[in-house]
This record gives sequence, C-alpha cells and structure tokens, in this order.
Amino acid sequence: MKKILLMGNPNVGKSVFFNRLTGANVIESNYPGTTVDYAKGYMKVSSELYIGPCSKCAEREENTEDFEIIDVPGTFSLEPKDKAEEIAVKMLEGEKGALVICVIDASKMERGLYLCLEIIERGYPVVLALNMWDVAEDKNMQIDVEKLKSVLNIPVVPTIAISGKGFKEVVLSIKKAASVGVNEIMEKVGEIK
Amino acid sequence: MEKKLSEMNYEEEGRVKSIEQDLKNKVAGMGIRVGKNLKMITKHPLKGPMVVEVDGSHTSLALSVAGRIIMEVKR
Repeated sequence: MKKILLMGNPNVGKSVFFNRLTGANVIESNYPGTTVDYAKGYMKVSSELYIGPCSKCAEREENTEDFEIIDVPGTFSLEPKDKAEEIAVKMLEGEKGALVICVIDASKMERGLYLCLEIIERGYPVVLALNMWDVAEDKNMQIDVEKLKSVLNIPVVPTIAISGKGFKEVVLSIKKAASVGVNEIMEKVGEIK
Repeated sequence: MEKKLSEMNYEEEGRVKSIEQDLKNKVAGMGIRVGKNLKMITKHPLKGPMVVEVDGSHTSLALSVAGRIIMEVKR
C-alpha cells in the first residue's frame, strides 16, 4: 500500500489534518509537541470526485486506491535537534517511496517553506497545504497561490483544517504530485528577482 | 551597536548580523537567518531558554544557541 506522510512545523495542524483525512481521533491540542510519537490511519483516494448515488460504481472502485497515512511529529528541519524531530526524520528516511503532504502555517510561510523545500530536495513527491488560511487572512497577508504553484511545480492548496476547507482539493491533488528537482525551483526563483 | 542575541534586553529589537557557520542550518528552520529582524520577548531564569519574535511568531532558543548569534541593535 502506498504511504502518505503528513509533515510540517510543530503546531500547524497536522493532527487535525490526520483526523479529517482518516476519520481517526488522535489527540489534538493547541501546543507544539502534542504529537511526539506517530499515528497511522487509512484512506481511499481517487483522482476524480464522485458525488451522489453510485451510478458508476465499478469505475469508482477502479479509480480508487488505498493509502496509509502517517501523522509525523512536527519538525523545523530535517536536521533533528531533539527526540521528536529525530523520529520525524527517521520516518521520512524509512519511507523512500512515500508521498508527503507538507502542512504549513500560511501565516508563517518562511519557516514552513524551508522544511518543505528540504523534503522536495530529498526527492519526495509533495503536496503543499497552506493551512490556517483564515489566520493569514486575518493578518491581512496576501499569498499568491498560483505563483507558488508555478515556482514549486507542485500542487498547492489553501486549507483550514478545523473547518475542512480545501480538503477535497488536497485529496484530489494527491495523484498529481511528483518529484521536482530543486535546481528547477532555484532557476524560477532567480527569474522572480 | 553589536551584541549577542543572548545579551539583548526585554522588548529590544535588532537585525541578525551573523550566525556561526555550523549553527546556520539549525536555526534557519525556525526562520532565523542573517538580515532578519528579531525582537527579544523574554528570558527564562537559571540560564533557561529565551523567547524571540520572528515574523510575528514566537520561538524559543537555548541561551547557548542565542550566544552564537550576533545582532545589530539600534543606538
């Protein structure tokens, strides 16, 4: 079964994300470091959205794939500074074929993108979730999602984990994620200046 | 004026001037890099960690780590 790792800085909402995606009920709190171990869950992913009565049941079944989702402890970088971060990095390194949903706090983009780029650099396919989108809006931050998409060349989705906004898109993006070369990203970043 | 981050006073603001080479990657994940503006929020007693504001969010640093970051402080 393919695996999806949920990674991101501490206290950005990974566990809320996990609970929403899997229907599980792991402990969430508003403190960094709530998840020091990991939790596993399962979900079905399809590349298309099926709504309403099951008129295309067979097709739906065919296009659906089971994924194992792993809620990883928060980390600031892939150079571990403590036990929880060490677990996070080991889990990533142990799952070479996994896809990563990088959850970042949209109001603290810089440090989130730092981790995200480190994960991309190691060759993992990444979906970037800009979580706490409402908080960024409250702070009057303007984030150009389309530009981020074109520079990083990965799916980028604004989300609000506690309300469920953006989750449909995150799930539909999973099959679109692919590894990207960091050099390509650096070239595009160079063009912006 | 130049001083170590660990020597900053409460509410004092400054710009990161230099970071010891082997520390650079460690603190970059917390959003601390050369050129960034930091504000000292609080220091914990008994040589405990200090809390600084970076990009509108608080992050804590061991005092020994803060001692290896050089700041440019106004006045």
